[in-house]
Amino acid sequence: MIRFLLRTSVLMLLAGAASGCTDFIEPNQLAFVMGTAVDHADDGEIEVSHQIVIPTQKSGPFGGSGDSDSFVVMSAKGKNVFEAIHKVQKKMTRRLMPSHRQLIAISEQYFQKDDVSTLFDKLNRDPANNLRDITVLVKGDLAKNFLLLDHPMEHLSSIATGKEMEINGMNRFSTRQFIIDSLSEGTRPLVPVLQIEQVKVRSKETGPIAALSGFAALNKKLKIAGFLNDAEGAGAVWMSGKGTFHAITLPWKNGKDTLSFRLTHLRRRIDSADDHDPQRIVLTVMAQAYLLENTTSLDLSETHYMLEVQKYMNDKIREDLQLTMDKVQEWGSDVFGIGEYLHRSSPYWWKSQKDDWDHKFKALDVTVRSNVQLRSVGASGTSFN
Amino acid sequence: MKVSGYQMFWLISISSLIVFSFLPMHLAVEQARQDGWISILLGGMIMLAATWITLRVCMQNKDKTLVGFVNDLLGTVLGKIVVVFYFLLWFTQMATIVRGMAEFQNLVMLHNTPMVLILLCMLFLVAYAVYRGGIIAVSRCAEIIGPLFVLLLYVQLFLNPQDMDVKRVLPIYADSGWLAILTGTLHSFNYMVDPSIVLMLFFFAENKRTASRAIMWGTAVAMLWGVLATLVLVFVTGPRIAAELVVPVYSLTKFVSILNFVQNIDAFYIPFWLFGAFIKLSVGLFILSYGISEWTGFKNWRLIAWLAAVACLAFVLFSAHRIELSNTLKNAYLIGLVYPALYIVLPLILWMLGSLRRRRKTTNAA
Repeated sequence: MIRFLLRTSVLMLLAGAASGCTDFIEPNQLAFVMGTAVDHADDGEIEVSHQIVIPTQKSGPFGGSGDSDSFVVMSAKGKNVFEAIHKVQKKMTRRLMPSHRQLIAISEQYFQKDDVSTLFDKLNRDPANNLRDITVLVKGDLAKNFLLLDHPMEHLSSIATGKEMEINGMNRFSTRQFIIDSLSEGTRPLVPVLQIEQVKVRSKETGPIAALSGFAALNKKLKIAGFLNDAEGAGAVWMSGKGTFHAITLPWKNGKDTLSFRLTHLRRRIDSADDHDPQRIVLTVMAQAYLLENTTSLDLSETHYMLEVQKYMNDKIREDLQLTMDKVQEWGSDVFGIGEYLHRSSPYWWKSQKDDWDHKFKALDVTVRSNVQLRSVGASGTSFN
Repeated sequence: MKVSGYQMFWLISISSLIVFSFLPMHLAVEQARQDGWISILLGGMIMLAATWITLRVCMQNKDKTLVGFVNDLLGTVLGKIVVVFYFLLWFTQMATIVRGMAEFQNLVMLHNTPMVLILLCMLFLVAYAVYRGGIIAVSRCAEIIGPLFVLLLYVQLFLNPQDMDVKRVLPIYADSGWLAILTGTLHSFNYMVDPSIVLMLFFFAENKRTASRAIMWGTAVAMLWGVLATLVLVFVTGPRIAAELVVPVYSLTKFVSILNFVQNIDAFYIPFWLFGAFIKLSVGLFILSYGISEWTGFKNWRLIAWLAAVACLAFVLFSAHRIELSNTLKNAYLIGLVYPALYIVLPLILWMLGSLRRRRKTTNAA
């Protein structure tokens, strides 16, 4: 009998401990953080805002109580990330859970006035974070205001931006990638830029929407070296090897008609020039092109026209990308990872060159080449006009 | 108590993989950055050689455990002293594993649960398994846990294809140089596998020939995993982040995102890691208590197992309050002197002594 009692009591004790009762949190005691914004605050502080789902209010895309009720944004200021987050937590009735975060938005102002690299420690050290979320820069406004926005299609602006990036083939801009780029000596981060625009979404309704408006190139100290607009940005993404697909529209030789292509299988290759001089770099972009719109009178079922179009397309792409390359080079921000290429191909040369790479990158002779293959002219030959 | 070759394979591979996934990758990558895998490969070869030497010693003394044959080879006094060092090694190893496990649980999942509760649960289970069935119970558990555990660890390496960039491992050698690579090896190789447990376990093997083959394979499986895991780590995170990750294998599971749907699978891996730690600790506790029982002549090793578990608990709780005691991984005396002496030098001496004695016997007989 004593033995039985002893055994039972040990089992009871173990059952309590083994199930982790002391850390018991039901899902309805959790607050799911979907987006986080980082803003500059005065007195050397930082303002962190969390966009948090309200699960009870969340309904399907059709019907329900409307989008504006499906989330809250809570923010607080602190000396570092943890202090600010902790202050947010104190105002909450539920435990913050950042494991499912989609996006981290950092305002342009924060990039200019504070040191972005100080954010990484918390992201990497605390196992509650995943580094799968996207890092974006919010231009011309507070990052917090971006989180406060509604979106006409999605419940949350952070999910909307995540989906927008995903569906447009830009899935290599995770926080992990950002940290890798910023720590490596021969690559600089390329950060997607969001801008808040007024968009008329229904006949009576005009509202602000955050839309992707290009990319920002950062320098070694993670300050903004310059902004690239949408088209330039797409080119830079392609040249930095982070693109997956892309679309371009080119004016035909007569200046009036246009040709539009979908480019898939984007790749790029970096080589030293023929004489293996590390100062002279050739960057070749490669893709497969599908003609999707043609307003010229060319009959593209004819082989020689196809060849002509392919050559013309390559020339135009090369010109455009070279312009982007020259522009970025002037800023001294090696977002293409050319330094990393040199690091890997001529490691000993790189050792003597890696200091002040931003400055040396400006003087580098980079030639862009384009090797895009016209794969298909679409489902019709000549244009219907 | 007999262990089959198949069970021996799982016992050794789990014991090795647990330590491997826990310590050496961080220590190697920290020094050699993207060449960490070379450090691991070198260290792995050293440890494979050490295992081979240990097996030679065991094959010469098939009918005795370490405690028995050390007395024969070195004499009673010296033999008893040497064995005490092995006891201390196994004890500290158990303490390191169980403390690492509890601290990790506290960090990741159970923020408020007192450490002593986690320790109690684990050590009670371990001591109970050893108490009830000795090495037989442990090896049967290993037979079940082993395939799942090893398979999962291997599968995990290939769940990050979209984030892998093979070029991140370049340039090989140029950035670090031999000094850094060898420092990485020196820091890490002692924590890769533990050939010393073979000295005790081999006595229980049913068929010595298949058992020795199983032990080599078990070690090799762990080695291979270690090299692959280090490579994958560098592929996914690049050398700079990899050098900073303290629990890289766990961090790797956090990065997994399959089709934006299968994410946060670390919750799935932690239990399996706990299963593996259970095997490792049970093996440690069994050989420790059985060894002590032979050493003292006190026959009841089951009682010793309980006492050793309590002592381990007490030591961990005590050392948890002294940061300098619980962070001895990079201590130069330990990694440069104590571990190599116990893993490599002593087995080598025992092997030579055994061969000499055997030769003398044959010449005497002739």
